Parts: sequence; structure tokens; C-alpha cells
Amino acid sequence: MTDHELSGLVGAYAIDALDEPERAVFENHLADCADCAAEVASLRAAAAELSHTSAIGPPATLRADLLSAIGQVRPLPPRVSAVSTLGHRLPRRGLWPAVAAACALIAVIALGWGVREHRQLAGHRLSPSALGALLDSGDLATVSAPVGNAGQATLIYSKSEHRLVLIGQDIPAPPAGKTYQVWMLSPTGTATSGGLFRPDQNGTVLVQASGDLAHTAEMGISVERAAGATQPTPGAIVAEIPLQR
Amino acid sequence: MGNLPFGRAVPAGSEPADGGPPELAGLLAASARGDQQAFATLYDRTSARVYGMVLRVVRDPAQAAEVTQDVYLQLWREAARFDPALGTVLSWLLLLAHRRAVDRVRSALSATLREDRYAASQSERPYDQASERAQANLEAQRVRTALHGLTETQREAISLAYFAGYSHREVAALLDLPLGTAKTRIRDGLIRLRDALGVADD
Repeated sequence: MTDHELSGLVGAYAIDALDEPERAVFENHLADCADCAAEVASLRAAAAELSHTSAIGPPATLRADLLSAIGQVRPLPPRVSAVSTLGHRLPRRGLWPAVAAACALIAVIALGWGVREHRQLAGHRLSPSALGALLDSGDLATVSAPVGNAGQATLIYSKSEHRLVLIGQDIPAPPAGKTYQVWMLSPTGTATSGGLFRPDQNGTVLVQASGDLAHTAEMGISVERAAGATQPTPGAIVAEIPLQR
Repeated sequence: MGNLPFGRAVPAGSEPADGGPPELAGLLAASARGDQQAFATLYDRTSARVYGMVLRVVRDPAQAAEVTQDVYLQLWREAARFDPALGTVLSWLLLLAHRRAVDRVRSALSATLREDRYAASQSERPYDQASERAQANLEAQRVRTALHGLTETQREAISLAYFAGYSHREVAALLDLPLGTAKTRIRDGLIRLRDALGVADD
């Protein structure tokens, strides 16, 4: 199916009108199509309005049963970690449209969370399934590089899964008003932003990203202004981490 | 989330039109801490929308109650993991419920479904089946008005997909449309609906 054909499924997807194989194919496409993700989110919001026309009070027994049932169920704790997300390949038309699109994408995936738990990969947490997909891949690779005086960045990645996890230890806090930015650098030197991150108070970083690693020769980390940059600032690169061929 | 590059501040009380009272997120947060009273209030404020939609899809009140209970149990269990920056509580709830309801009817193909299909496609005013309470609801009226702005094919395609749980292929067959046309009608209709209602998810 071409991208154009896939984009045509967006309305049907938004109201659960795709059959299962199509749904899987479309969700795969969704991860790479920020425009589709944004449209899905807006069409879902429109579809939600339809339920005004069918609203009807549920039977009282349902309320009683439910309130009785929740007494037996402990709510799950919030996910707590220093995990944040790297975005998908960001277009170079400027960072903020891409960030907005990524927000929409995350929103879509988070909305689907719970129904399709394996779709949380782009959520702002390091999900066990994301790690699992990495660990299960046949081409798992690890590489480390120093960051600053005492810091260390370790990449765990799979080119076939287009996925990576970046673990940082003792990463110095960026100067005020600055942030770290990750870059995917092609063999010809083209830089594509992978997103922004900051270490937590302990200098720990735990982020996941997905992107076209097949065409990435090395990952770079630079210090940029808080909003991020469209290209790495010369002289601001603090780490270069070559990936295996 | 403070470090998130994609985190967005959510202005207080800025829920979109479908979000209902802005306190829903607060009620959910209290539920996450085990506040059963807050959860009961959340249920009272949203259950007519959720149950009504599920009932419309699955048709059978007993199954609708079961699906609705499952959805709210999931909401209770996972309340702490809902991020209000990512959408409204209600749209999330409706999404979970719709997916479950559709899965239910698709896995339970039956003669009943065929009859429902017939009823749905034959009904001249498929949106007037709601309860008196819903009819009295200004929001429902607003949505109906917006639906009248759609073409008949768009309206029927969306109705069959959203309220009867048919796939776009089935919708195409039911409405005697070429396959590509059905999914296009659904998409165009939803876009028109979205624009008429001034809905935005963010």
C-alpha cells in the first residue's frame, strides 16, 4: 500500500472501521506520519461528539456493581522514571511544527494505550515492550561514549527495529536555558534531529527513540538552546557515537 | 515530565467541547489515589455518554453493561497513567469503549447483526433513536445539526461504522459503494463534522 493509500484510511481508522490486518498496517504507518496522527486525533475528537446523540443513563445496577468491584482493585501506581522521548525523524522545516506533530502522535498513541498496550512504544516512558522489542531483535548492538568529564552515554539499538534506547550516567546538567539534543548523522554528514533531553538531578538519562537508523552512521549529542536547533551548532557537539555498520 | 521536549502546558479548564466539565481530569487524579467517591462522581458525569454509545453499538443491554463496566474498571486501574496533556478524559474513555464495543460485535457475528444492519440502513432518521434525555440535550442537538450538514452518504457511512461497528469494506457493501468511496466518505464526513463542531483535539 502506498503512503497515499494509507493516508486515505485515516477516517476509517479513527472510528475503528479498519479490519485487523489493515489496522496493524495503518498503525505502523502512523508511527512515521505525523500528519496522519494529527488528523486521527482531530477526527477522533469529532467522533466522540457523536456520543451526545446516543447518551442514555446506564442501569443503576451497573453503578453499584462497578463501585463494588473497584473496592477489590488497587489502582496502578504512576510510572515514575527519568524517562523522556526522542522524536521521530524531524523534518527540517523548523522544530516546533515537528514538536507539535510529535505531541499529536504521542496523544494518539496514549489514547490507544490500554487497548493496545504494545502500541505504547512512542509514549514518554520506557515501556517494557519497547525494551522487549529491542532485546528480541536479531541485531541488538551496544555502544558507549564519554560525555563531558565524567559522563557516559550508552546506546542500545537495533537497526532492524529502527529503535534505540539511550542511557546516560553522570551527564552534567546543561547550562541555563540550554538542552541536549540528539542527532542522527548520515554517512554523508546530514544531521536529523532525534529530539531533546535533559538529565535528571542525578545526571541520569533514559530515553528511547525510533528512527531510520539504517541510514545513520553515528549518533551525535549537542548542547542547544532550550527550544532545540534545526541543525547541530558547530562546536556544540559533546558526544559522537558511531553505530556499527 | 518536566524534562519532556514534547510536554505542553495545559491551561486550566481548557477542555475542548467534548471534554465536559474541566473537573474530570481532577476527579481522575483523585481516583488514581484511591478516592472511590471521586470515581463515582466521574462515572456519574460520563457514563451516559459511554454506556449510550456502547449500547448503540452492541445493542444488547446486558453486553453493553458488561463492556461499560470493563472500560471503567480499566479507567480505575490505570487512572494514574492517564496524562491530561494528551487529551481529554472523556475522549479517551470513549475511544476505549468504542474499540471494545466494536471488537465485541465483530466477534459476535450473528443474525441479529444482520437485522440491525437492515434497521440502521433503512432508518430515515438514524440519529433520532436516542433517549428523551439525549434529545433534550443541547449538545446532542448541536451534533445533529452538524450531521445534517453532511451528505446523506457521509452520514450513513459514519453511522454504520461508528454506531453499528461495521468495517469500511462492509459499509461499502451495505451502501453499494466502491470500496475506496466508502472510506473517503467516512473521512470527508468526519472532517466536515469536526469543522462544523469546531472540535480540536489539542
